[in-house]
Amino acid sequence: MWTWNPGSDKEAGDAIVKNLLLHWFPNKVSKGSLSWSYSFWLGTMSFVLFMILVFTGVVLMFIYVPSVERAYSSIKDIEHVVSFGWLLRGTHRIAAHLMVATVFLHMVRVFLTGAYKNGSSVGANRPLNWIVGIILLVLTLLLSFTGYLLPWDQLAYWAITVGTNIASAAPLVGKWIRFLLLGGNEIDQNALIRFYVLHVFFLPMIVLFLFCYHMWRVRKDGGLAIVDREALDLKPEKIASVKSKTYTLLGITNGTSVHVQNTEVDGEKNSVPSSPHLLRRIWFVSLATLIVVVVLTFLFPAPLEEPANPSVTPNPAKAPWYFLWLQEIVTITTVNLGWFTINGALIGGVLLPGILLLLGIWWPYRDCSGNASVGIWFAPERRRQNIVFVLICLFIILFTVIGTFLRGPYWNFYWPWETWPEMPIKF
Amino acid sequence: MKFFQKKRNKPQLEDNSSYRSGRRLFLEKLGLGGVLAGLVGMGFQSFRSLIPNLLYEPAQRTKIGMPQNLAEGMTFISDMRLYVFREGKSFYAVSGSCTHLGCTVKYTKLQQPKQVEINGEKTVVPFEFHCPCHGSKFYADGTNYAGPAPEPLQWYKLEVSPDDGQLLVDRSQIVERNFRLTV
Repeated sequence: MWTWNPGSDKEAGDAIVKNLLLHWFPNKVSKGSLSWSYSFWLGTMSFVLFMILVFTGVVLMFIYVPSVERAYSSIKDIEHVVSFGWLLRGTHRIAAHLMVATVFLHMVRVFLTGAYKNGSSVGANRPLNWIVGIILLVLTLLLSFTGYLLPWDQLAYWAITVGTNIASAAPLVGKWIRFLLLGGNEIDQNALIRFYVLHVFFLPMIVLFLFCYHMWRVRKDGGLAIVDREALDLKPEKIASVKSKTYTLLGITNGTSVHVQNTEVDGEKNSVPSSPHLLRRIWFVSLATLIVVVVLTFLFPAPLEEPANPSVTPNPAKAPWYFLWLQEIVTITTVNLGWFTINGALIGGVLLPGILLLLGIWWPYRDCSGNASVGIWFAPERRRQNIVFVLICLFIILFTVIGTFLRGPYWNFYWPWETWPEMPIKF
Repeated sequence: MKFFQKKRNKPQLEDNSSYRSGRRLFLEKLGLGGVLAGLVGMGFQSFRSLIPNLLYEPAQRTKIGMPQNLAEGMTFISDMRLYVFREGKSFYAVSGSCTHLGCTVKYTKLQQPKQVEINGEKTVVPFEFHCPCHGSKFYADGTNYAGPAPEPLQWYKLEVSPDDGQLLVDRSQIVERNFRLTV
């Protein structure tokens, strides 16, 4: 049977290996991997948030109606009629917001610790896992985007309008992509059902699949990057030859294993059994995440704007906070080249984010710092690239802050303490 | 039980080359090719079915009422996001869809008409269009002058419907900005 409190190494090993949900954890983990201040457990948090989203999302699927006529009123029912509906929707929304944040911060952590680098472990392909991570970040954003469309309120309608028009600004295929996304030329039932299926099935399935691959790769890459770091710090020690069965070309023979000199990362001193040490922390992180989500749900109830109205754009029409930096960029990147004008939608909405993504994908292959820079915060050798990376992140955060707090009607600039002028709703 | 104990003619491992040639190899490739072709076919038909063949969207040519019933000055036709203007006997229609990212621009009456130069011509502008999404600004005739909008607002062709004399707007036909329909 499964034991929470193993009495021996064998019991501890069995607790992991013989359990379907836990078998993908290693038997033992290095103490460094369990450190709070190395990883901040942001990846774990992201997954916990994803699970919260799956659970609340499945329940919401039973009561939400993805039709243009009924979507808005079904969300209203969830808010005001369904028992605990407001809590369900609120938790779903807060978890989604937090997931965007934790996945982003997870990426920042991995970059600043040089954890996308292979280091000394054999057979590692951490750059590939970094790319998987970037795809997961993009998918998280797409999930949020497709999610906040579903209430079919003003936010939803104008977000689809702007979002799909950004897509159509892409050269050559843009118009066609917009047509395919909307299932037509107008934002109507076809568009809603498409975004719904993307949100509740297609994108989550890809996330789940890539998440599994992400975790599998962490195991294949020899654990967290900090393990490589620990291996560097340890002096190779003579370990007594182990009498063992060895596979040779001729079959199984008895003899001593070939690993005569070995570092002792996996040894008694530096690692602990995953059960209970790793599991205890995962439980703790899960519980803490859940508590934060529920508390924030009480503090920030989910809003619902007026029903979608194609003729009246809200003033200002703001995207959710994690897209406001993009909204800010598409505003300021329309370029005039004499008689020829390039739409900001192309530069700020397609090219710039595209370049950032490609740069992210390429960077692990460009970064030629040594093994000493793997799995350590702010490695001196990587100082310059860390500074550039942090600056890019700060720009994104700065634009997010400007968009959130300093933009008012007609996207004009207002200080937070200034009151916005009264604006007529229609004109 | 004899059936299960019956010895089959197993292909010899050493005779690998002959095993993987001729009829067996052909059938193997045929099977694999069949599976691949099936998958590609399924992929194609699934994808193709997501491209609609028929759209139930509002017509691009729509009647908007009798010309004499239209108020002098601006009328906003909300379900088409269209600004229709009447100046005595002449009519014209300006799209309310911002050329940047498609939000509905708002008709903004100026406190004081201002003198501006549009394409080298001095004009008095009594009102403007402002976009709430990214702050683009357009003069009365749709000329973009501030913000990220790359082009002027579109003007649509107006006609008089031959059957009942209603104004007919055709949103698939973009016209020059000096277009006027005189009724």
